[in-house]
Amino acid sequence: MSTREIFDGRLEAALLLAPTLLVSVVFLYYPTALAFRTSLFDAGFGRAEEFVGLENYLTLLESSAYHRSVAISVLFAALVVVGTITVSLYLTFLIHEVDDGQGWYLISVIWPYALPPAVAALVFLFILHPTLGVLTGPIEAVGFDVDWFNDGPQAFLVVLLVAIWKQIGYNVIFMIAAMKDVPDALTETAELDGVGRLRRLVSVYVPIMTPTLFFLVIINTIYAFFGTFAFVDLLTSGGPANATNVLIFDLYREGFSFFNFGVASTKSVVLFLVVAVLMVIQFRLTEEYSYYGA
Amino acid sequence: MTNAIQYTKRRFEALKGAIAGDDEDEPLAVIGREESVSVHLQLWLLVGMVVFPILVAVVVSTKQQGIVTSLPDLIPGTYAVENYREAIVDYGFGRFMWNSLLMSVVVVVGKLVISVFAAMAIVYYRVPYKDLVFLFVLFTLLLPVPVRFIPLFQLINDLGWGNSLLAITVPYLASATTVFILRQHFLSIPNSIVETAKLDGVGPVKFTLQVLIPMSRGVLVGVSIIMFVYAWNQYLWPLVIIDSEANQVAQVGLQLLQGDVQGGQLSWSLVMAGSVLTLLPPLALMILFRKPLLETFAIQQK
Repeated sequence: MSTREIFDGRLEAALLLAPTLLVSVVFLYYPTALAFRTSLFDAGFGRAEEFVGLENYLTLLESSAYHRSVAISVLFAALVVVGTITVSLYLTFLIHEVDDGQGWYLISVIWPYALPPAVAALVFLFILHPTLGVLTGPIEAVGFDVDWFNDGPQAFLVVLLVAIWKQIGYNVIFMIAAMKDVPDALTETAELDGVGRLRRLVSVYVPIMTPTLFFLVIINTIYAFFGTFAFVDLLTSGGPANATNVLIFDLYREGFSFFNFGVASTKSVVLFLVVAVLMVIQFRLTEEYSYYGA
Repeated sequence: MTNAIQYTKRRFEALKGAIAGDDEDEPLAVIGREESVSVHLQLWLLVGMVVFPILVAVVVSTKQQGIVTSLPDLIPGTYAVENYREAIVDYGFGRFMWNSLLMSVVVVVGKLVISVFAAMAIVYYRVPYKDLVFLFVLFTLLLPVPVRFIPLFQLINDLGWGNSLLAITVPYLASATTVFILRQHFLSIPNSIVETAKLDGVGPVKFTLQVLIPMSRGVLVGVSIIMFVYAWNQYLWPLVIIDSEANQVAQVGLQLLQGDVQGGQLSWSLVMAGSVLTLLPPLALMILFRKPLLETFAIQQK
């Protein structure tokens, strides 16, 4: 590997690295450090900062509203992960199995990767609008009352559907590559043993795809926590009665509706810990599997 | 490491096959006609569900009032030109689109250049504490915008950048993902080529222009698409930091069209026209460059 190091100039190397390092320090590391610092202060617009130690953390520990937001986010993330992986896995399997038109099917399910979250939210707002929605009529005809502007669980479900819809494309992209990697011999053996189609997916493909699936579980969890802000903001604004008030939206409100920068920074630190834990898990798993694969 | 590269290569091949549709190892299973029909039917159904919402958006954007309350209403109207004109000109959506384009292009070009620089230094230069430097870059994966937008908001305002193009581009320029993908790719360029370049006494500039870039075209295109989609689809940060309509991006601008809807002033056809416009650039790029894009994703996972 060292033979790749064909250039010596230290100054040159430093200059090449400088822009990335500079932007990282100023706009990534420094603000994060600032969040840790401000989390120890009572701070907001137009008032003097006051050091309060761990008071903001205690406030969060005792806040039942915040606990509820944590619970909603965890439930939401779990459902996004399970929903996205299940749908994407089955779709990928069908595309893998189909005898004709594979390229077309693939592109027509992976395109939501490019779908802007704001567009996804507005389109669903229209389709499922309680009075105007195209699908509202058919759904109500079956005897289900569409009322997600007032009904918490329904609102949660709508945000969940949008979140899964948008994430399918990204998942299929990775799954199709992993499924193609399954050795043909295994598929043939399974066929000879008379293993049914679905059974083959669950007992042969899924175990071999485990590294990719773990990777996607982490990516989807991070997405559920952080990538879903636009959905909540445009569809429900965290309501009704905070039923969709996930952590990222709660943080936004703390900062830009209530202007409590101290508490908002504390909430940022909590989110940082969430990402950190997820990334560490991913890193560990990747290492484990690369040994296993070697 | 060699294993990882072998693995990545196999993935490339697998993906290429999938995209081109030229599956060489034809269906292993001798599937019966019935089964084949069932697979197609299920795919049609699921693809239909994935595509349906956008089809509705497209149809609504062609109608006069955009009121579509039942499935039979889903017949395209004849007001497409008026609607799109109204959204783009009267509601200033052209301006939002232009701002989004500017933001995305600056982010893509800036990120690409400084990430190529960084990856080059990390792979081809003798740098002390190289692993630490790489780790320092990689660690920023832990710091996505949602974790730091509150202090970033304060910092950008202190710098006097609020409400400007600088605010929505510069903080995005450092990219752990891009540096990582480029590093992986540079490491997979055969050593013999690098050594030949060294024996020929090729300098860094010549090496970059004549060896590195030609050998990295696919990856450079791939990461550019990933970066474009990422930048174009940003919502939270522009919402927070841009407070004038003149500088707003399309993602947030959509809400302004919606604002009129909630004010009782109709018009869903305008919102949907805006939505279709906002979807088009990233979608077009993705479809056009799907091959290099998927190949690049294959590197990312490892």
